[in-house]
Amino acid sequence: MPDRVILTIGTRKGLFVAESGKARGKFALRGPFAGGVAVYSSLIDTRGSTPQIFASSCNPFFGMKVLRSKDLGQTFKETKSAPAFPKDDGRALANIWSFAAGAKKNEILCGVEPASLFRSRDNGDSWEMVEGISNHEHSRKWQPGAGGLCLHTIIADGDRIHVGISTGGHYVSEDGGKTFNAWNTGIGAGFNPDPYPEFGQCVHKIVAHKDAPGRMYIQNHGGWGEWDGPGGRRPDIGVLRSDDHGKTWRSIAKGLPSDFGFPMLVHPHDPDTIYVLPLVGQTRTCPDGAPAVWRSENGGESWKRLAKGMPKKDSYFTVQRDAMDIDALKSPAIYFGTTTGQLWMGREGGEEWECVFDALPPIHNVKVAVV
Amino acid sequence: MPATTGVELFVPEMLRQYCGKARTLDIAGHTVREVLAELEREYPALYVNVCDETGAVRRHINIFVNDDHMRDLNGLDSIVTAGDAVIILPAVSGG
Repeated sequence: MPDRVILTIGTRKGLFVAESGKARGKFALRGPFAGGVAVYSSLIDTRGSTPQIFASSCNPFFGMKVLRSKDLGQTFKETKSAPAFPKDDGRALANIWSFAAGAKKNEILCGVEPASLFRSRDNGDSWEMVEGISNHEHSRKWQPGAGGLCLHTIIADGDRIHVGISTGGHYVSEDGGKTFNAWNTGIGAGFNPDPYPEFGQCVHKIVAHKDAPGRMYIQNHGGWGEWDGPGGRRPDIGVLRSDDHGKTWRSIAKGLPSDFGFPMLVHPHDPDTIYVLPLVGQTRTCPDGAPAVWRSENGGESWKRLAKGMPKKDSYFTVQRDAMDIDALKSPAIYFGTTTGQLWMGREGGEEWECVFDALPPIHNVKVAVV
Repeated sequence: MPATTGVELFVPEMLRQYCGKARTLDIAGHTVREVLAELEREYPALYVNVCDETGAVRRHINIFVNDDHMRDLNGLDSIVTAGDAVIILPAVSGG
């Protein structure tokens, strides 16, 4: 019977692991692992009998490492190798942005900067480049966003693999990664003269739910409602929904204070319930200095502000794309980490918030699992 | 006669886990480029910490030949002779 809540918290100065019982009364913190080095991604892989934790160690001196723990984050060791481009490719790994469990046992997928996908079939010890997306005909035309040219989101659903690229857009493989197609119909690009290009969108996060096949949600790069240049206004392009596996998308941003933001979540037990954390597009900070998570319980038709327990003013942090997660307990809690080093927890699906840790290094990544 | 057949490659403490804890390595080569190529053959796990996939020395790594930074000599084509010290040093950076 799973009875422990494990949080991985990737920060600018290393990885922390926090652990609590199911009541989430108090979290014990351990770390930092890979101290002093930024950790942009982690994965708590609960598929096997012994959960494993993977984390990227993005070392500016000595290059990228993949860390693995087989004892729930008590200790970490480097895997035998990290993703690397072939020698004749000409690209060099700049960052590791995402991990996801693959379709097969011991298969791990890894998204990197410059935007490419790698696959390990042996639990992270060796890696091969997934050429279908890494050498896609569009790939040399993708442009870096402020965070770099990153493949930051991976959703593996059998042979169907979705990836999100900033800036590249949403790409899908239906043959296990051999080939990928750009599926961006309805996803706007405010920074492009053509507001709806074939590719090149700055997708921030993509989520889906196993109980609603074909349903997907995107937090896109919004904040273009006042644009008065060529192509016209682009209101509400930031929060989107698809009901056809991501082939076409429509806005569900109406009712939010801003359609800009980075993370997005779907409730573990209800595919109609989703969460975003709106930010001001120009500053990437909380609107009016008052942070809030916004929840829709009807697939984006309407939204409710959730902020009980959070500061009402003077709070101007950013929450990055991979820094919010939700646990899978019966009444789940939401967790988000801030660029000011706070780790917040929202009980009852975000109804009541408390600050769990208030002085960690700037947080890039938060993942949770019940084990 | 020098005691070594190659250069004495100094490994900083944080990288010794990739070469059996050795502080220095005896590596053959007539240029820094050849020394790094030999390092890649003999100690691939150490090499990837010093050079990226394109063969470039990582941005925050400095390589000295005795007291001189290789950029002040002839870069990767800097000549080295048996007994020279080739020093791998992390740059002063961060925050």
